[in-house]
Amino acid sequence: MRSRIILALIVLVLSVSPVLGAKRYPVRDITNVVVWGAGGGTDTCNRVVSAEMAKILGVNINVINKPGGASGSIGMNYVYNQRSDGYTLVGLSESVVTASVQGGWNQRMSVWDAMIIGGSPDILSVTPSSPYKSIEDLLEAAKKNPGSIKAGAGGAGSIHHLNLLALEKGSGAKFNFIPYKGSAPSQTAAMSGEISVVVTSVAEQQQLIRGGKLRPLAMLTPDAFTLADVGSIPSAFDSYPTLSEHLPISQAIGMAIKADAPASVKQKVQDAFKKALETPAVKEWAQKNYYKISGKTGAAANKEFANLESNFGWTLWELKAAKVNPADLGIPQI
Amino acid sequence: MLVLNEFFSFFGYVYQLITFQNMLILFGSSLLGIIFGAMPGLTATLGVALLTTLTFGLETGTAMIALLGMYVGAVYGGSYPSILINIPGTAAAAATAMEGYPLALKGQAGRALGITTTSSTIGTLIGMMFLVALAPLITQLALEFTSIEFFLLALFGILISGTLTSKDLVFKGWITGLIGLLLSTVGRESLQSYPRFTVGLNDLEGGIEVVPVLIGAFGIPQIITVLKEKTILGDAKKVQRILPDFRVVFRNFKHIVRSALIGVGIGSVPGIGEDIAGWVSYGTAKNSSDNPDNFGKGEISGLISSETANNACIGGALIPLLTLGIPGSPPAAMLLGALMIHNVNPGPMINFDKPGFITQMTAILFLASIAMWFNGIFLARQVVKLLKIPMELFMPVIVILCVIGSYALGFRVFNLYLMVPIGIIAYFMKEMEYPISPLVIGVILGPMADENLRRFLMVTKGDFTPMFTRPVSLILLTIVTYTILIQIPVLKRMKDKYVSPWIKQVFSKVFVLFTGKSKIEKGVENGHA
Repeated sequence: MRSRIILALIVLVLSVSPVLGAKRYPVRDITNVVVWGAGGGTDTCNRVVSAEMAKILGVNINVINKPGGASGSIGMNYVYNQRSDGYTLVGLSESVVTASVQGGWNQRMSVWDAMIIGGSPDILSVTPSSPYKSIEDLLEAAKKNPGSIKAGAGGAGSIHHLNLLALEKGSGAKFNFIPYKGSAPSQTAAMSGEISVVVTSVAEQQQLIRGGKLRPLAMLTPDAFTLADVGSIPSAFDSYPTLSEHLPISQAIGMAIKADAPASVKQKVQDAFKKALETPAVKEWAQKNYYKISGKTGAAANKEFANLESNFGWTLWELKAAKVNPADLGIPQI
Repeated sequence: MLVLNEFFSFFGYVYQLITFQNMLILFGSSLLGIIFGAMPGLTATLGVALLTTLTFGLETGTAMIALLGMYVGAVYGGSYPSILINIPGTAAAAATAMEGYPLALKGQAGRALGITTTSSTIGTLIGMMFLVALAPLITQLALEFTSIEFFLLALFGILISGTLTSKDLVFKGWITGLIGLLLSTVGRESLQSYPRFTVGLNDLEGGIEVVPVLIGAFGIPQIITVLKEKTILGDAKKVQRILPDFRVVFRNFKHIVRSALIGVGIGSVPGIGEDIAGWVSYGTAKNSSDNPDNFGKGEISGLISSETANNACIGGALIPLLTLGIPGSPPAAMLLGALMIHNVNPGPMINFDKPGFITQMTAILFLASIAMWFNGIFLARQVVKLLKIPMELFMPVIVILCVIGSYALGFRVFNLYLMVPIGIIAYFMKEMEYPISPLVIGVILGPMADENLRRFLMVTKGDFTPMFTRPVSLILLTIVTYTILIQIPVLKRMKDKYVSPWIKQVFSKVFVLFTGKSKIEKGVENGHA
């Protein structure tokens, strides 16, 4: 009899404890480790959304930056080595899916449960003092002297780098690619003239373009883009239709939690995330800053990241820009 | 006329910002900042980052009051443990310990803290004036810095701290600097993500963090030394004058202005901040001094130079942040995030998107420095009393603070495994009269030197020529070469004989030009003509 009571108590405790655990989450501050530098697109997106999520969850979310490595591998390795308790999130973007084929780490994206905030289209700009007035000027000059024009686009294997590689492949031009720790430093380098060409997103560049610090040449998406104070920026596809075979490659900025975290914890984080995207603060911010909100979580978001991983991994491998064969990592070719 | 307008709107903003709630937040965050700065391991960057998330609910102006209050307080607060126990609270205050601690040993800790408080305030205020007056010009200067300039600047930072801290042979300082550089290369390098010296440890993949090195290298040797030698700090029992002797401040006016200029300049260069500003300013003070031998023994002008510069750096760091959207120092990077959350996008369009915002930030910086001064004067008096605690009781508390400080950053036990051996190695190095500061500076600046040198070579395809043809680079290269060559005895003698008198002549002429007072008179005032 007594043993039965004890058994029943144990069963009760075991069945209740996850619920109690879920109720207890979050009891302390959460850290969101952004794998790119402060001031870049991924960073600001994560800061805005984390601030709203913190209000919903009732604890602080400290956003810190751990940039560097191949495609944000330093930050991802760091978070991956933390406990799977939901107190450490990783702020990431689509570019991190190439970390494995770049030799940055040996995990697949399936170790994360992704939550996608959205993204901003990529744009190519040049230093205002450079001689290139149009995308044709630039690409023809790059074809004439392959590798003579210095181009920046975030770190090696970032989405902007992939856009640049796709542009090279689609147009036959060749640039000298210089890696930086994120979009902001590569834009600064383009302003200072250390490099002539920079590819980052409209959200990241708009103010520098409007302020005359960078000269926009073309969108790397099929459509033109109208920017306040500047006017319409043409699509690179207009002059180089073959680009449509390689572009566009869209951004998916967001955050992720370790996939092996307790399901109830993940649910709480995802709910807070979804609510945060619905707040007027985030909506207004997205519109003002040229972002398109996605809001995918769970299976839908994981599928998008799995597709990105395959697409990016194999593209890089084909572009001979990858160090590790995606087949060796078990990444399927979709 | 435009300047006058700016001036009036500045006071308009100051007046607007003075509300009861704002003042409470201002003094509270400033106090919190000082505590953050004074605790080993808690840095200005961390303080601003933690406070950012607490302030999202506040109005933009109020949030900035809290953050700038914290920033200014933390940069200043690092000087407390520097002066009192020779363990810098933040890397920014490492140069402060060079003169501050000897003063404390002489029983002048209160005086040192008072002078530090006032010169930090003046430094912040001068930085603030530059923010409002010269922002466009300095923005342009910041864009002159490309990869090669950053490399040379980092190299110079390591060399100068090596030169300044060595007691006997300068090479010893450079050797520890190189060890610091070596430590900084551990982990995946940032351009191509190749793992270096990680010996298969996952914990080393992300590299060696600065905070455990800072605490280990400064804290542990100091604790061992104090307990072993039973160091007795100067008698703190007699009531000391904490309120600054304004005559001292006035006499050192030249040092304050020069240090503030150095601070603003270094602050405005993206990516480097208060730590380098303190060293460079201290070095300049030592090199241009009539009595360089007094340095390291409690020279007031050295103390003033490092403390003025690291606080002036704040105004400088805000310049590229507000006008280009590029943070000028690590805490400023955190400020950028906070601004973004408050829907302020700093950058070239800020005067159109948010008219008057820069002036408002200037007003807040003004209030923050005033709050820091009052808090500082109040605290200094209390803090000095800590010295009455017997060292046998005081030091174990410091040990606990060191351990917590190392662990708190990312809650990694691995940081403790790093801190202890580094501390023990640092102790033996210190016993052999190797200076420790260059090691820490090497770890801080190493990644910057490494990454930028290699990026420069990628840009030029292996060609070193632009190093000599770019003006800023050439200036920096000349300074670096000079710093190295001057240590060769023959050249040093030549410098003392021919160059130094000439430089001093130029300096005194410039000085006369600015103040209308000759250097001789000033020497008399100082009492060592």
